[in-house]
Amino acid sequence: MSVPSDPLPASGPDAILLDGVSFRVAGHEVLSDITLRLTERRIGLIGRNGSGKTTLLRLIAGLVAPSSGRVRIGAVDPFAERKAALGQVGILFQNPDHQILFPYVEEELAFGLRQGGLSNEAALHRAQAVLDAWGRSAWARVPVQSLSQGQRQMVCLMAVLAMAPETLLLDEPYASLDLPARMRLARRLHGLEQRVIVISHDPEALAGMERVIWLDAGRIRRDGPAGGVLPEFAAEMAQEGARDADADLAG
Amino acid sequence: MLTLTSPVETPFHRVPAGAKLLALAGVTVLLFSMGDPVMLGLALTGIAALHLVGGLGLLRHGLRMLWPLWPFLAVLLAWHLWTGEVRDGWAIALRLLAAVAAANLVTMTTRLTDMIACAERLAAPLARVGVPPRRVALALALAVRFVPVMADRLAALREAWTARSPRRAGWRIIVPALLGALDDADRVADALRARGGTD
Repeated sequence: MSVPSDPLPASGPDAILLDGVSFRVAGHEVLSDITLRLTERRIGLIGRNGSGKTTLLRLIAGLVAPSSGRVRIGAVDPFAERKAALGQVGILFQNPDHQILFPYVEEELAFGLRQGGLSNEAALHRAQAVLDAWGRSAWARVPVQSLSQGQRQMVCLMAVLAMAPETLLLDEPYASLDLPARMRLARRLHGLEQRVIVISHDPEALAGMERVIWLDAGRIRRDGPAGGVLPEFAAEMAQEGARDADADLAG
Repeated sequence: MLTLTSPVETPFHRVPAGAKLLALAGVTVLLFSMGDPVMLGLALTGIAALHLVGGLGLLRHGLRMLWPLWPFLAVLLAWHLWTGEVRDGWAIALRLLAAVAAANLVTMTTRLTDMIACAERLAAPLARVGVPPRRVALALALAVRFVPVMADRLAALREAWTARSPRRAGWRIIVPALLGALDDADRVADALRARGGTD
């Protein structure tokens, strides 16, 4: 289930930089003063629900702008420079149903390609080529509604990878999958050349990552190789689980 | 879930979207020019026969897609029974069924991309008054995709209501449904932005 790391290639994708990044929603600070420089090829984000993992991923994807601080991928501001950002980062939402915009598989794949400047015909042609390359040739004219959850996630993954981003951002990709589907997805991700940043609350899913960042209440709690961070995280979660702390309300 | 997409590939899929829409417009005009229930009944039979080109499965799917019309038909027929104009009642009911069935057949057998391309061409003159045709076309696509999603959401809310109440949900789920739709709209905006936005 893990996505083990291979050695860093000679010329990797641009570094992702966060410089004093905070994010506030309605007066509540979701992320506080995050500074990171991400260069590794396999990175995990771990933390409890509400710790700010998804917000951090959305900031990197350029879906939202920070309340203060700077986000850069190489020299690109992913929020302001959308065209350039699309070649840099692709994001896979936690729920494929929130990501899929079109009723048919090929249309879903073609959309991002059209936005990238391809003609309608060329985009559909390229979509079919992507399906062929992933051994899913027969899926083109299949209605999305008839696919299983794991298959829909596969559609989202292919749609994002069709746009060939340098970095793939994955929000809890294993959360709604059954065991065989998880193993299949893990194998797919393992084979990717792209840089992959994965969110999970499950230490097992992040074992073998080059780098794991533990978020806690909007701040970085620990940052290091999986072997160092994950056991500490697991121990604290076990301790938390033993306490009856559910009654505490978030400030 | 029921959607306005054909469960099978049919020869109609290969007909250009513009031609199908033009034919649909012609058929609809024709239907509205006919007043004889027998003729309209024949027209409806003809449209059913066209469904059969895609097999029995497509016909069955088409029939299910017509089911939501029954309250309207019931009111129509009841009204005309009341006023004594039974013949007119049948004519209107059959015309409605035939027109919707024909429109559904076109929608079910046309790729959304083709429909969008067609809408984009038709909306091209709007560019002169500052409305980008591409955005009009995208709005159309999103409507087709999310009408069934909304229907699912309503069904789920109704179920959640029924699970904890002896009474029927009725209008009381409308506000939560609307709030949910606003959430959905936010997510769609995200999904669009993540892959290049609306331009």
